[in-house]
Amino acid sequence: MIKSKELHKFDWIQFLKKYGTAIFGLIVFIFFSIAADNFFTVNNQLILLRQMSMLTVVSLGFTFVMAAGGFDMSLGNAAGLINITFGAVLISTNNFILSFLAALIVGITLGITNGLLVAIIGLPDFIATFAVGTITVGIKMLITKGNPMFFPRDVSQAAIFIGQGRIGIIPFPVILMIILVILVAFILEKTTLGRRIYAIGGNKVASQYGGINVKKYRFITFLFSGVFLAIASVMLTSRLGSAQPLAGEDFMLDAIASVFLSTTMFGEGEPRAAGTFVGAFVICMLTNGLTMLNIEYYFQYITKGLVVILSVLTSVYLGGKLNKS
Amino acid sequence: MVYIKQNVIEVKNIGKEFNGVWVLKDIDFDLKPGEIHALVGENGAGKSTFIKILSGVYSQSSGDIYLNGKPIKFSSVKHSESSGIRTVHQEINLVPYFKVYENIFIGSELEKSVAGIKIIDSREMKKRAIEVINRLGVELDVNHITAGINTAMKKIVEICKVLVYNPEIVIFDEPTTALGQEERKSLLNIIKLLKEQGISIIYVSHNLEEIKEIADRVTVFRDGEKVALLQDDEITIDNIICNMLGNKTYNSYTRQNSYIQEEEVLKLEGVTTDLLKNINFCLKKGEILGIAGVVGAGKTEIAKAIFGLDKIKAGSIEVKGKKTTPTPENAIKNKIALVPEERQLQGIISSFPVSKNVTLTYLEKWTKKGILNTSNEFKSTLNYIDRLSIKTQGPEQLVKYLSGGNQQKVVLSRWLVGDFEIGVFDEPTKGIDIKAKEDIYALMDKLSKQGKSIIIMSSYLPELISNCDNIIVMKEGEIVGEFNTRQENLEEKICKVMLGGHKDDKEQRIA
Repeated sequence: MIKSKELHKFDWIQFLKKYGTAIFGLIVFIFFSIAADNFFTVNNQLILLRQMSMLTVVSLGFTFVMAAGGFDMSLGNAAGLINITFGAVLISTNNFILSFLAALIVGITLGITNGLLVAIIGLPDFIATFAVGTITVGIKMLITKGNPMFFPRDVSQAAIFIGQGRIGIIPFPVILMIILVILVAFILEKTTLGRRIYAIGGNKVASQYGGINVKKYRFITFLFSGVFLAIASVMLTSRLGSAQPLAGEDFMLDAIASVFLSTTMFGEGEPRAAGTFVGAFVICMLTNGLTMLNIEYYFQYITKGLVVILSVLTSVYLGGKLNKS
Repeated sequence: MVYIKQNVIEVKNIGKEFNGVWVLKDIDFDLKPGEIHALVGENGAGKSTFIKILSGVYSQSSGDIYLNGKPIKFSSVKHSESSGIRTVHQEINLVPYFKVYENIFIGSELEKSVAGIKIIDSREMKKRAIEVINRLGVELDVNHITAGINTAMKKIVEICKVLVYNPEIVIFDEPTTALGQEERKSLLNIIKLLKEQGISIIYVSHNLEEIKEIADRVTVFRDGEKVALLQDDEITIDNIICNMLGNKTYNSYTRQNSYIQEEEVLKLEGVTTDLLKNINFCLKKGEILGIAGVVGAGKTEIAKAIFGLDKIKAGSIEVKGKKTTPTPENAIKNKIALVPEERQLQGIISSFPVSKNVTLTYLEKWTKKGILNTSNEFKSTLNYIDRLSIKTQGPEQLVKYLSGGNQQKVVLSRWLVGDFEIGVFDEPTKGIDIKAKEDIYALMDKLSKQGKSIIIMSSYLPELISNCDNIIVMKEGEIVGEFNTRQENLEEKICKVMLGGHKDDKEQRIA
């Protein structure tokens, strides 16, 4: 039997495991609010939300992959290829819908390639997706030689609106982000698809023995990852007003960080849409807050790296401790 | 000239306890220099635990071990190994793309000093490897890539790996599994050769023919106790089986009914996979069919073949007279349920609560246009918790916190949901308590009464005898016997087929 003393300790660990990441985020938030004068203002918070919107969208796609126990290393490098595809089509047609579709096709192709290699053929996800990402680097550099493509002056308003527009005081990317968070939360929590993805992430073998088509569902997660990357890249390019082959490279580490924070969020080891949202918020808040404190830019990389290590460590440590008690 | 040497190992009153349960009780055992001492017993009789104590994996809870007359308590595998005890394990663990001699010296690489830097001494390793191989009287090129040699030769490499340490005592754990008739014979000869070279051997095997052939003495285990020590003429297959089984008390549960009908629901014809050879049998409506065999005999492989998890190389599977391509999806369409052997690995999703585990396979039943109805999921789960008396705090409790028996019931209810017609239950009562076992037996009886057919794989014979209509006996991937359970001395008869003899003798044994 569990004695009352142990029971108390158990609850405490359970609480930390469940809300530790959120509490950490809150502490950092309060710290920045006190330390930096301009941090806790409506204006800065809106900027912060707009900054995080693209990362959140990428991370949502990555959430599908990680929920199924997979990994996608192609995101950061492939973003640039989508940026320039969107830019090139926009410059030549000045049609937002066409450009967006072109970006989507690149994203889908990326997802299909990753899905075929990893889910269907069965290559290790780290290596295969990393290699695919490397190929996209080659393609985008061959096309652009690393030069950005600038939007023409009379560019379609829709192409600007998706990254820079506002509805009332709320930036449009923030609204798009919220819609997508809700959509992903719905898919993951409320549909057969989501349940099966989590089942595969929980135990691939048992899922197969339970009659789930593991290959098919893993394939779908990579497809989602590609589609969400395409949306995020379009938002990014629209925001920058130019198609940058190198923009979006930070997506990789930041998305890993956000989704890892997400897995530690509710103490079940499964990444959820809401968790990913909070995770992306924490990551962007660090960038934003450190900038406000005039701390050198490169220091942000060190901080982000440390946060990833800390979050993984927390989940492993608390998980291990929980199992022993 | 006869002189008496002391025993290399003497074990007195050894016992082993896990969480208050004594799995090994009061074992006396001795090993004379240069003898082959065989250990036999049914699965779970305590052989493995005993060997694990000698090889330092476990330390004993009571009793003493004397090595060459000196008391010793092994604190680790290293300790046991450095004391001169080595084990040739059942599984082959070799690096496929290493050369034979590199595998032989894995972990014990020889080094030489060149200009003060230690480098691997391949020449010396090859020389020593050739010496060891010659000792065994086999021909094997030490430069051969390991992946390219056959299973028997791989086994010999495993033996060489052990021999380079010049051990005094070698434990062989089921060394001949997965070997053919001829290879088996030559391996036995090699073991005899080692004995002549003065190595003392502990030999564990399910194959009683082999034991009869090479053992000087046989210790029989039953239910964690040593029940007999046989030597010379006492070593006969009948005598060993008699001692292994004893006057065993059967389960308190024995099925009284039989609901077997004429209709054939499942038929395997000449099914051959990597591990199965020409499997033929049919399952009738309402039948409970047992599949017996020792670990590794191919029971699980039958389950995998039916469910489409292993590739079928030849033969066909018919469900209700229709040929089917076995895949998990088709199996489910054909209303076949699979309760796998490895509950943790293949059964439950441990990060999921009870409810999500129950609804996993037939999730569509709780969805409308792909959208889940979680409150219905909860209600249905409550219903199954009640029907199978699953002990849990509720549908939302994580399944990993349930006991093994209750986890098994969760996996069962996953399939009950779909109203299956053919249930394939692989070791469904493995590692679960008596109450849960009896619940599962009662459930199987009820299901067969409803006209469902069940195949149950088990290495525990009394379980099959008291639950099944018919029993198929597997050995080395083949069916070696079929029995109706309404006959006397069935366990002894099955044991003879299951443990004794080679597949060549098959016909006469079935007759």
